[in-house]
Amino acid sequence: MSIPFIDVEGLKVSYDGSRLVLDGVDMAVEENEFVAVLGPSGCGKSTLLQVLSGLLRPVAGRATIAGHDMTGSAAERPRVGYVFQDHRLLPWRTVAANIELVLEASGLPRSEWDARIDRYLDILQIGQFRDAWPMRLSGGQRQRVSIARALAIDPAVVLMDEPFSTLDEVTARTMRQQLVDLWQESSRAIVFVTHSIREAIFLADRIVILTRGPARLLEDVTVPIGRPRRYEDAEITELESEIVDRVMGVWGYEEQQPA
Amino acid sequence: MTDARIAATAGSLERTGRRWWSGSAAASDRLFSALGLLSFVALWWLGSVTSDFVPPIGEVLDAVPSFLTEEDIYGDITDSLTRVVGSLAIAVLLGFWAAYLMARRGFWGLVVARYVDLAIGLPSTIAALLALFIFKRSEVGVFVVVTIACFPFVAITLRQGFLSLDRRLTEMGGVYRLGAVAQIRNVSIPHLVPYTLASVRNEYAHAWRVVVIAELFAVNSGIGWRFTQAYDRFLLVDVSLWLLVFISILLGTEYLILRPLERWVLRWREGKL
Repeated sequence: MSIPFIDVEGLKVSYDGSRLVLDGVDMAVEENEFVAVLGPSGCGKSTLLQVLSGLLRPVAGRATIAGHDMTGSAAERPRVGYVFQDHRLLPWRTVAANIELVLEASGLPRSEWDARIDRYLDILQIGQFRDAWPMRLSGGQRQRVSIARALAIDPAVVLMDEPFSTLDEVTARTMRQQLVDLWQESSRAIVFVTHSIREAIFLADRIVILTRGPARLLEDVTVPIGRPRRYEDAEITELESEIVDRVMGVWGYEEQQPA
Repeated sequence: MTDARIAATAGSLERTGRRWWSGSAAASDRLFSALGLLSFVALWWLGSVTSDFVPPIGEVLDAVPSFLTEEDIYGDITDSLTRVVGSLAIAVLLGFWAAYLMARRGFWGLVVARYVDLAIGLPSTIAALLALFIFKRSEVGVFVVVTIACFPFVAITLRQGFLSLDRRLTEMGGVYRLGAVAQIRNVSIPHLVPYTLASVRNEYAHAWRVVVIAELFAVNSGIGWRFTQAYDRFLLVDVSLWLLVFISILLGTEYLILRPLERWVLRWREGKL
C-alpha cells in the first residue's frame, strides 16, 4: 500500500507540554487533492497547518509530505506555500520584492524570478501592482499577493488558513472561484482550513471534520458534487444542511462545557 | 436627531470651522509656521523695547554680514556639530544595545534598565560638572555628557520597537525558510527603522541643548563656549547672533535633512491601512 502524499498519523500537539491542542489527528491527502479541514473556531485547525509547515513540533505522531518528515531538518523538507488569515506581507517591501524574498529563500534561480512573479500576479489579476507598496492595496489585493507568493515558489503543497475570512463576501466569492481555477490548472495539493461549511463544500474534493479542541478526527466526507460548482448550488446547500446536522451536536454540546 | 443628521451637522460644523483657513494641509502648515515666526519676532521686539538685556532686531540683523565673514566662527560651529553627531551616534549604538537587553528581560536587561533610569534622572548640568571632575577640561568629557544625556531616551524608544516586533512576520519568514540573517535584514531592521529615526530626531535637538551646557564647562571651543565668551563680556548682540546660529542649525537640519530623510525611508507607510 502506497503512503499518501500528505500523511498525518496520531498527531498530538501541546503548546505548554500538558494541555493538548490536537489529540491524535489522522489525515491523508493525495498529490492533486483539494482537502478542506473544517472545525469550530479555536479547535486546533491552524495548529495542524503549523505542524505541516514545519513551524511546530508535535509531542506524538508524525506528519509527512511526499515521504519527508515535516518535523525534520528544513533543508530536507519539501517547499510549502502558506497563505495566512492575514496577508503577512512585509509592508516595507514592494509586492515584487515580497515575492522575490521567498523565491531567494527557496533557492530558485534568479533568472526565473521575474517570469514567476509576472505569471502569478497576472493570473491573480494584480499585475499592475507589481511595484506597489502593500499598504496601498485593498485587503483582497493583499491576499491575492499572498497567494501569488505561496504559488511562486513552486510548492509541493499549499496550506491555506482561513485566507478569505477577513474579506467582504463579494471579494471572497471571486477569490474562491479564482483559487479553484488555479488549483485545477496547477493540480497541486491544497489543504484549506476553514470554519465555513459552505466554503469547504464549494472548494474541496474532501472535507476533514475535526471535533472541538483538543481536536480529533470527527468525520471524513467526500464531496459528491461535480465541478464546476456555484456557491449558491442547491446541492451545496443540501450537503451543508446535512453536515450542520451531523456536527451540531458535537460542536454545540462541547461549547456548553466549562474551559 | 438621527445618526445621519448628527453626522451631517458635525461635517457641516467641521467645514464651517475650517473655512477661514481651509486649503491643503501643506498650505496650512506654511501659514502656521509663518504665524509662529511672526510671533517670535513680535516677542523679540517687545523684549527689546521693555528691557536693556534684549538687543533690537535691527541692530542684530545689521551685525549679521560681518559676523558671517568671521572665519573662526565656522571652526566653533564645526566643533559643536562634530560633538553632537559623534555623541548621538554613540548614544544610538548604546541605546540599541540597551534596548535589546531590556526587551529580553533577563538579568542584564534588569541591570541595564536601572542604569537607563539613573541616566534619565541625571540633570545635564550635574553630568557636565561630574565630567569636568573626571575628565578635566577635555573633549572626551563633552562626548560623555551628551551621550549619557541622550542614550536612555534612545533606549526607551527602541525598547518599544523590540517589544513590538511582529511575531506573525517572523512566523511567515520561518515558513518560507528565511535564515536568521535574512530575517534580521528584511523583518527586524526595517521594523526598527521608524523607532530609530524617531529617537534620532528627538535626541538630535536634545543633544544640541546639552552640548552647549557641556561646552560652557569643559572646553574652549564650540557654540556653548562662544556663548559664555559673549555673555561674560556683556556683548548682547553677539549672544543674539550665536542664538540665531544655534536655532538655524537646529531647524535647518530638522527640516532640510531629518524630515525629508524620514519621509523617504518611510514612504511605504503612505496609503491605506
